[in-house]
Amino acid sequence: MKSLKRRRYADRAAHWVITLGGTATVLVILALFIFIFLEVYPLLQDARITKETTHSVHGKVISMGVDDHQEVAYIIYNNGVIEFISLKSGALLKKHHVSGLDGSVITSADKDHDRLVLATNDGKVFTISISFSESFAGDSRAVTPEVLEEKKVKASKLKAGILNVTSRGDDSTDVTAVYTNDGHLILIASETGKTPLDNEEKKEFQKDITGLFVAHSINQNTASVPYLLQTEGIERREKAKAGMQTADNSSGDLTEQRTGTEITSLALDLFMENLYIGTPSGDVFHIDVRDRENPYLVEKVKVSESAVTALGFLLGDVSLVVGDASGGVNVWMQVRDDRSSWGWALKKVHILRSHKAPVIAVAPSMRDKGFLTAATDGTIYLNHATSEQTLLRFKTGYTPVALAFSPKANGIFVADTNNRLFQWRIFNPHPEITVKTLFGRVWYEGYEKPEFVWQSTGGTDDFEPKLSLVPLIFGTIKGTLYTLVIAVPIGIFAALYTSQFLHNSLKIIKPVIEIMAALPSVILGFLAGLWLAPLMERMFPAIIIMPFFITLSIGIALVVWKYLPVIGKGWYRHGTEVLVLIPFIIGAIVVSIQLGGVFETNILRGDYREWFSRVLGLKYDQRNAVVVGIAMGFAVIPLIFTISEDAMSNVPKSLISASLALGATPWQTAVRVILPTASPGIFSAIMIGFGRAVGETMIVLMATGNTPIMEWNLFNGFRALSANIAVEIPEAPFGGTLYRVLFLASLLLFVTTFIVNTLAETVRRRMRLKYNKL
Amino acid sequence: MREIFKKGNPYIWLTASALTVCLLMICGVIVLIMMNGFGIFWPRKIVKITLHNGTVALGEIVKKEPIPYQKDSYRTKIKIGNRDVYGSDFTWIANADIVSLHFPIDAVVFERREWGNLYGFLKGFRQGETIKPLQHDTLMILLAESRGLYKKIRYIEKKEIGNINYLMEKYRLELKRLMMFPPTEKIRKKTVALNAKIDGLEKVYQEREILLNNLYKEAKEKEIVVLLADGQDKIVPIFQIIRVYAPNKMGFFSKLVFYLTKFWEFIWSEPREANTEGGIFPAIFGTVMMVIIMSIAVVPLGVLTAVYLKEYASDNMIARIVRISVSNLAGVPSIVFGIFGLGFFIYFVGGNVDKFFFPEALPAPTFGTGGILWASLTLALLTVPVVVVATEEALSSVPISLREGSYALGATKIETLWRVVIPQATPGILTGMILSMARASGEVAPLMITGVVKLAPSLPIDSHFPYIHLERKFMHLGFHIYDVGFQSPNVEAAIPMVYTTTLVLLITVLTLNLAAIVVRNKLKKWYSTRAI
Repeated sequence: MKSLKRRRYADRAAHWVITLGGTATVLVILALFIFIFLEVYPLLQDARITKETTHSVHGKVISMGVDDHQEVAYIIYNNGVIEFISLKSGALLKKHHVSGLDGSVITSADKDHDRLVLATNDGKVFTISISFSESFAGDSRAVTPEVLEEKKVKASKLKAGILNVTSRGDDSTDVTAVYTNDGHLILIASETGKTPLDNEEKKEFQKDITGLFVAHSINQNTASVPYLLQTEGIERREKAKAGMQTADNSSGDLTEQRTGTEITSLALDLFMENLYIGTPSGDVFHIDVRDRENPYLVEKVKVSESAVTALGFLLGDVSLVVGDASGGVNVWMQVRDDRSSWGWALKKVHILRSHKAPVIAVAPSMRDKGFLTAATDGTIYLNHATSEQTLLRFKTGYTPVALAFSPKANGIFVADTNNRLFQWRIFNPHPEITVKTLFGRVWYEGYEKPEFVWQSTGGTDDFEPKLSLVPLIFGTIKGTLYTLVIAVPIGIFAALYTSQFLHNSLKIIKPVIEIMAALPSVILGFLAGLWLAPLMERMFPAIIIMPFFITLSIGIALVVWKYLPVIGKGWYRHGTEVLVLIPFIIGAIVVSIQLGGVFETNILRGDYREWFSRVLGLKYDQRNAVVVGIAMGFAVIPLIFTISEDAMSNVPKSLISASLALGATPWQTAVRVILPTASPGIFSAIMIGFGRAVGETMIVLMATGNTPIMEWNLFNGFRALSANIAVEIPEAPFGGTLYRVLFLASLLLFVTTFIVNTLAETVRRRMRLKYNKL
Repeated sequence: MREIFKKGNPYIWLTASALTVCLLMICGVIVLIMMNGFGIFWPRKIVKITLHNGTVALGEIVKKEPIPYQKDSYRTKIKIGNRDVYGSDFTWIANADIVSLHFPIDAVVFERREWGNLYGFLKGFRQGETIKPLQHDTLMILLAESRGLYKKIRYIEKKEIGNINYLMEKYRLELKRLMMFPPTEKIRKKTVALNAKIDGLEKVYQEREILLNNLYKEAKEKEIVVLLADGQDKIVPIFQIIRVYAPNKMGFFSKLVFYLTKFWEFIWSEPREANTEGGIFPAIFGTVMMVIIMSIAVVPLGVLTAVYLKEYASDNMIARIVRISVSNLAGVPSIVFGIFGLGFFIYFVGGNVDKFFFPEALPAPTFGTGGILWASLTLALLTVPVVVVATEEALSSVPISLREGSYALGATKIETLWRVVIPQATPGILTGMILSMARASGEVAPLMITGVVKLAPSLPIDSHFPYIHLERKFMHLGFHIYDVGFQSPNVEAAIPMVYTTTLVLLITVLTLNLAAIVVRNKLKKWYSTRAI
């Protein structure tokens, strides 16, 4: 009895184990989907603030910054004091006085990485640099700030105060532009060059270039737009900037002093070539300062209906962010334009969310094309230029006076007129990804118009990855299409023949075709890339005429079979056409190879590549879509063949007999009875072939040039989703944007093939049920 | 005529032609690979070509072809070897430039460890500034000597120094792990002991290093002088030479022996020169081991699923979902499995295994990076449907009467399954396993991201405990083809090797497939007779 009980338990247990094991495949499919999706999910997440802290500041903040790890921040006050505070404890770590200030007040500053340029109300310009050095004691890290005072320049012979300064510099050169409160724009440059005698020579320039834009302004804008001081918030900022100046003079005096136009903001790029000037009339002047002694005005662009209030560059100093008095934030850049005399024109490429008050400051991220904008009403937006999205919005309640991004773009620092310093730590790992950047046209720097681009890595640090999946999806579709064009007719015809007409003694052909399916795709890819592609390039004309000759040879075979019955009768049986055709088709191939040269010289005028580019305007690549189509066709044909052959040969015999009995010929039966009945099977065969072609990796990888271009040209390469994943995932850092986008690509592949396969399986199941009923 | 078309006979011929094209394609590909793959080791004659401008080229003729854009003119591609002298292995010669072409009987090929083949004439043995004439037999003795030396050096480098490095790494990791514990007396003692062991190894290592340096010095001493085609002398250390042969002197049988030796060497030796020369043994080994681990994982899963579908599930929703899952597993692109393997096995499972079991090695990953285990498991998921389909087929061919007989004798369902049905279905299961192995050995895309490398420093099995190192990266035939054919710096010289590798892979896959068919037929008979 006991043994019986145990046996019953064993039986029950086995039932559960087997059911669980059986459903494990479902779990695997689910796990596939879930795990891939989990890796993609962070792309969909919004940026968020992880921590907010406030510190207090003492005085008018001119500029500030922070170290890599957000441990130590520096704050520069308008009296020349630099304070270093610990962001962990809020304690003051170090205080530094900029020497040589002699009581003058800093009115404006420009930050160029570590290098800071400070300008004063009595016309002096200071360059200092602030760096942080790290030292490790055991496990703890100590960050030590250092201030290096580089040089001082007297900006103007007059004692005029400086309202605005912009400066860029490198080891040998630095260029600074200042705008003084008596209405002058002055360019200061110093260049260290090697003289022919190999001595270092330092050249200094100082040039008043006010004339360059004043003349234009008077011509075109007779009425100068009243300066921003009307707005209360701007007034406050103006006070902060002009410091003592505004305290002494009334604002009315200030406008009177100006000579017809004013400058509200300046921006010089890191190449030290292009200086942009924003004016209250809403214009941006582009001045070329390559020749330091003779700068000239390149163009004047109306960028806004209201005054330009803030200018700033994005990482790489190519895109210019323009903020205006009505709160608009736009990104402009130089785009190739044939209509302009210079060949380039400043164009608006991105429009971002507007503030409700005038924009007063722009701060770029050092990591990507993100930037911060601040408006007088105390709102601060975190934007990303390329994806045109505003990721985060902050509020301080008071007008911000200084803005800074942490070097790793994971923290934002804002000082406001209420003497508070806000620190927001942010989580913003994938700012550049939106549905639009993945699937839409995006206007990248250096492009003439919005385009679909996939270019994940570049040579420089400020390279922006361009991750549009569209060229890859296009490549996949192109490869699949050409594959199916080749594989579907061959596969289905061969299946129809095998199932209906092939002689029983030749059924051995079926496993041969199945062996075709077993050929590893890496072998096919290798042959396609290194054997077929060069061969086809060499004898392309022969390949063109080959289908014609093959058809012809079938015709000849038919005639031979029809009119030479004497020879045929002895050994020929119905169902062996396939063997009879072998010599004819081989003959056709040989003939077309022989005639390829003749065809090329006579019809294609000597050289097919030239003919292509001249007559059809096409380019011929060695590794092209036709090669892929043939190689992948090789992989897909057996799939389509097997499944549709299965469907056709399982068509109930009664149907066939009925058809034949009614006098239909075997062919008529095949077309009118077998094909319609087996059509669900054929459909699922095509679907499964499609799924295989979409996901095939090695063949596409080896037989195309893998260039992500979007042309339907048969003789071009392409880059497919699958090959792209294989090429790029080993280089993609874990958890990075590229890594997740590649997971998204594979999710796309998964979902596509899942739908296709599920559909095919369902259709086949229905068909089997139908067959059973018939 | 119209009658003929109406009846449709021409269309039948058309459909037949589709099948013919398929047959020709498959046969063409197999013949192409066979021809190119089997041919490369056959020693080819060395030709000496003198050109109009007086230059002389010595080498093997690779192919002749018409010059593009020029009527009736041909050019010849010659493998001149001597890459260190001429910079490239191949050269093109326009046939019109050739003055004379003959096959010098004493032209010799020197197969070298580096820089590829050297073609020339043996001049003699170098002694200081003078050159002593050298007989072929003496050269053979010298070669045998240097081969012995090479073996010695390899032994020291691979075995002894490899051992030392392995142990040192192990002790270092142990030290690191000890540091993670609070420093008690016991741990301090252990640390000291380990440090002493490491010092001891360091000493042994230095001794070996000196020995090795001496051996290398000895190896460099003996040099021969080779006269190249253009008249310059080339000094070659004997140690660099693997094999010397004069193909123009060889008869058919010596060529055959040569061919077989070379093929043997190709299969059993390690690659040289960035995989473009030498053998493919590590790739074969890696493929086989990966496939074995995979089949251990795939068979239980596949059989359980098939048994569930055939024996337990009625035609309900769950069974349908399982069926759809199986067909999806077969249809999901292999690269997606690779991505899944990377995200799930490597970063998720592997990362956690590292965290709990190998914290001392972090941040260097142990299981948190591609390896043979993860690659095999990824492929196991990919090949489940193959096993499921074959097993299902086998299960449905077991007659109902057998089951009913078993039930009638009072057996439970599992007993019937285990004692009656499964034994009957074994050939089917075996077939499924073999087919899944065939599929796995040809798959490359998922492996590329889960642990295959172009050159693995050590095999996944060696003499160090625990002998099987599942975390190691490995080499694979399919990836070898891709890597050498498409990513090697010298693709032109490597293509023959790729063809031979392709041939090996093709033979493996075809043999497995044929084996599956044979097993299915043979074992079916065997079991059916036994059951009665």
